[in-house]
Formats: sequence, structure tokens, C-alpha cells
Amino acid sequence: MDCKEAVEKLYLYLDGELLTPQERKDFEDHIKICRKCCEKFEFEKNLWNLIKSKCLDTPVPATLVNKVLTVINSF
Amino acid sequence: MDKTKEQQKKLFQELLMPELGALFRTALRMTRNREDAEDLVQETTTKAFSAFDRFEEGTNFRAWIFKILTNTFINNYYRVRERDKLPSLDEMEEESAFQPVFDGISPEQALLNTLTKEDIQKAIDIIPIDFKSVVILNLVEGFSYKETAEILDIPIGTVMSRLHRGRKILQKLLWEYSSLKNSSEKGTEEEWTAKKQ
Repeated sequence: MDCKEAVEKLYLYLDGELLTPQERKDFEDHIKICRKCCEKFEFEKNLWNLIKSKCLDTPVPATLVNKVLTVINSF
Repeated sequence: MDKTKEQQKKLFQELLMPELGALFRTALRMTRNREDAEDLVQETTTKAFSAFDRFEEGTNFRAWIFKILTNTFINNYYRVRERDKLPSLDEMEEESAFQPVFDGISPEQALLNTLTKEDIQKAIDIIPIDFKSVVILNLVEGFSYKETAEILDIPIGTVMSRLHRGRKILQKLLWEYSSLKNSSEKGTEEEWTAKKQ
């Protein structure tokens, strides 16, 4: 796998989507030997993990729990 | 579903409650308003329970209720005029004029170090809805491309292209926020140094 192909496959690899086990291995082999692609991969991985973790940090308002239970019990 | 009403309510509640946090987060990013988000989740609950006898037990409840949430949002909350308040897609996708400069560490590390929850929420809030919904469902809530396609009723290829563009727009906005933060901090430091001298 060359750098161009690795960049094209980066998001599919991160998303765990559509790549065959061989393609995943080829991607991993490439980033082991290519510093530039490895740095890009690490940055993208860390960035999207950070975005996800910050977004998940949103508590459910207690009022909503009560409202939803009221809706269910109204049927 | 051959169950009494009370059994249906119990099962529905058992399936719904673990998803409440995810539904609220998604509703909040879509409506950009806590009150509307709570109303949207309530309305979703009403619609979902009304249709619960058509839900096949053992199938994907999470994807099923998210589909109801996103449809309810598009039909009842999203107004086309909302688009006018946002920067145009062309503006969002054009190459950033910002050239981040950071002392000592790589720009990438500086971005990761300085991004706050508020920056991320602000950026997601202004992404156009077609991209935002794919970004939230796939990247935040962890739905697969296939599930996202089914929830939004679009082909998988469209999910992939919207996700790619959504990521690009979101990254561009975050780089801009980070650069602005960095330059204003530098400004403050320079002003402070000047005053000290």
C-alpha cells in the first residue's frame, strides 16, 4: 500500500468499515513504516476520539426522564 | 406483538431508557436548544410508543427510534430558513485562510490540547443538517454506515460522501477556533509584556 491509498483508506480503517482483513493489515503495515501517514493516522484517531468523548459528555436532564415516563404512562 | 398494554409499556420503557441520553444529545445538537431538544425527545417517545406494536422484537430498537427522532426533527423542527442563518456550504468548505502557528508543539497537538467541549458543540451546531446528522449518528453515536443509511433513508454511498465532507467542514472550523484562541492568547501575552515593560 502506498501513501495515496493509505490516506484514501484512513477513515474506513478508523470507522471499522468496508475493508477486508487483508486491506486492514496492509494499512497497518504501511503506517508502521511511513512516519508521515502514521502521524496523520494518530492525529485523526485522537481528534475524532476527542470529539466523540466531548459530545458524549452531555447528561440527560432529570426533567426529561420524568416527562418521558409521563408520556409512556399516558397511554 | 401479542402483549397487554402494560407489558408493552414495560418492554418499551426497558428498551427506551438506555437510549435516552443518546436521543437527548442528538436532539440537542440538531435543535441547538435544550427546550426544543426535550420536546423533540418527548414527541419521539409518543410517536414511537404509538407505533410500537409494529416494532419487531429482537430487531434494532436503537436504529428504529433514531429514525423516528430524525424524521420528527426534519418534519416538525427544521425550518429551511434556518439555513439562511448559517454560513454557506461553499464558505465552510473553502480552504482555510488560517495558518496556525504554535510555539514548541505541533499544530495538531496544540489543536488537541486546546479544544473544549464548547468549541466542538459550536462547530457541530453550524454544520448544515445533512452533514451534521451523518456526523452525529456515525461518529458520535457509533452507528455503522449501513445503519446510518437506513435511519436517514439515503444510500450508503451518500452516507460516506456526507461523512467525508462533514469531517472536513468540522475540522476546518475547529482549526479556525484553535487558531483564533492561540492568536488571542498571544495578543494578551504581548499586551501584558508591553505593559510590564
